[in-house]
Amino acid sequence: MKALMKVIGKILKILALGLYLLAALLPLYWVVVTSFKGSREIYTFPLKYLPEKLSFESYAKLFGFANFGVYFRNSAILALASAFVAMLISMFSGYALSRIQAKKFRNGTLLAMYFTQMVPPFILMAPLFVMLANYGMTDKLSTLFILYVTMVIAFSTIMSKSFFDRIPVSLEEAAVIDGCNTLQAMFKVVFPLTRPGLAAIFSFAFVNIWNELFLASMFIFSDEKMTVPVALNSFISKAGISWDVLSAGLVLSLLPTMIVFAFAQRYIIAGLTEGAIKG
Amino acid sequence: MMIPAFILLIVFTYTPIIRGGVMAFQRYNMFDLSKIGFIGLGNFEAIINDRNFDFFRIVVNTLVWVFFSLVFQFGLGFGLALLMRKPFKGRGIYSALVFYPWAVSGFAIGLIWAWMFNGQFGIVNDILVRLGIIGNPIGFLSNPKYAMMSVIIANVWYGIPYFAIMLLAALQSVPNELYEASRIDGANRFKQLFKITIPYIRPTIISTVLLRTMWIMNFPEIIYGMTGGGPANSTQILATHMINRIYQFYDYGQGAAIGFIIMSMLLLYAIVFLNISSRKEVTV
Repeated sequence: MKALMKVIGKILKILALGLYLLAALLPLYWVVVTSFKGSREIYTFPLKYLPEKLSFESYAKLFGFANFGVYFRNSAILALASAFVAMLISMFSGYALSRIQAKKFRNGTLLAMYFTQMVPPFILMAPLFVMLANYGMTDKLSTLFILYVTMVIAFSTIMSKSFFDRIPVSLEEAAVIDGCNTLQAMFKVVFPLTRPGLAAIFSFAFVNIWNELFLASMFIFSDEKMTVPVALNSFISKAGISWDVLSAGLVLSLLPTMIVFAFAQRYIIAGLTEGAIKG
Repeated sequence: MMIPAFILLIVFTYTPIIRGGVMAFQRYNMFDLSKIGFIGLGNFEAIINDRNFDFFRIVVNTLVWVFFSLVFQFGLGFGLALLMRKPFKGRGIYSALVFYPWAVSGFAIGLIWAWMFNGQFGIVNDILVRLGIIGNPIGFLSNPKYAMMSVIIANVWYGIPYFAIMLLAALQSVPNELYEASRIDGANRFKQLFKITIPYIRPTIISTVLLRTMWIMNFPEIIYGMTGGGPANSTQILATHMINRIYQFYDYGQGAAIGFIIMSMLLLYAIVFLNISSRKEVTV
């Protein structure tokens, strides 16, 4: 009897895990299948769960009438550059916050950082636009670069501090006794140990920046400077929604973050549970 | 070493927050820049008295959106975490396949689910019709009766990984001896869950729920991608309302005023949050 119950329990568990998997994958499956159907088959009834024949028509359109290659390049450069710079800056600020003795200053700074995490970027759209328009900083990818570094710098710092907290100060002290100066101790002893932490910070920042829509659509007007989310948004407003082009664009827009997630899953999960406030 | 981070945050975060606070009390329409000037509470009055955008309804929508999204995200996320607690073959790959929605943009998720819920060619309608649950396709996003439910479903789908990841990490910190000891004492699974697991990971539960509440309230991307707040404002929440004020009406003053309302709510919430967390030693 007990053995039977155990088997039933196990089957139920596998069933439940399977259901979660199905639910998680269905939207992805559907958008991928749609993107390979070609415009005619998308709008036929009854629905086909597999494309009749593999069609690259939607992708050809995507790169034909829209400069999707350009948007993709813009997004890639922006996300890589801002995530990298944010990682560098937060390495220093996180290290300083972790090692500083003044408790009041540290807690105050942390609180100020946590607070910015609670302010969603779209709240800042209008005031930022008004401020930066005065200096002619609209419609520039370099403006977005600065805004994106800022957008992720607080949680990057919080994360990097918590990673540095785990590295005992005695390691640096030992290095200093051995004749290193403080900077050498940082670069030769401490930073190499935080490589997983840096990977987490970078992937986190990359995903958030790659996905950002509202600031980008506020600041970018010209076609050749659009990022991928802005372009997807513009596909909608142009002439209703044409799901062939859109599904192809969506699939390509998902690829980079999915690749990052696949490779850095371990680090991202560590970063998430390590005290980053950002969901 | 902290100077670069400080400068960025002061110039590009704190200054616009203050600037936005000022704008909330200004007439600031980008169509009519000559008339910029202070109008006291004029923006707030205009928002609350707007006939086309019933403010009371928008606040209620916001609460419905937050409450149901949160309950189901938490419940289903916790369920998934419990299922994944004990190692099994292929758990690494499995977790990549169920956690990936975390990395997808809210806007893309909104678009994908808009396509899934499409009234004519949507897969959701197709499955429901094939299973005989409904007779004819439903206009999930065009019918105000179903629109809110649909955007919440998309949001739940998106939020499950967050809770599963956080709670799974917490579950793995529960010492196994506790379970073994309780089994010897004759406790069943159910009792173990309520007497050991939940009390042990309570700090994580409290902090994730509180943080996520705030986060969902300020998460317009899915709704923006699916319905834009429509039809007939049935999915309009404060966040989408603010974005529409700015994008469609170019009324930065009213947009900033809604932002001011959201920020005040956040601040109030943050104070409550900090109070609870300092009392209960919540790990953030």
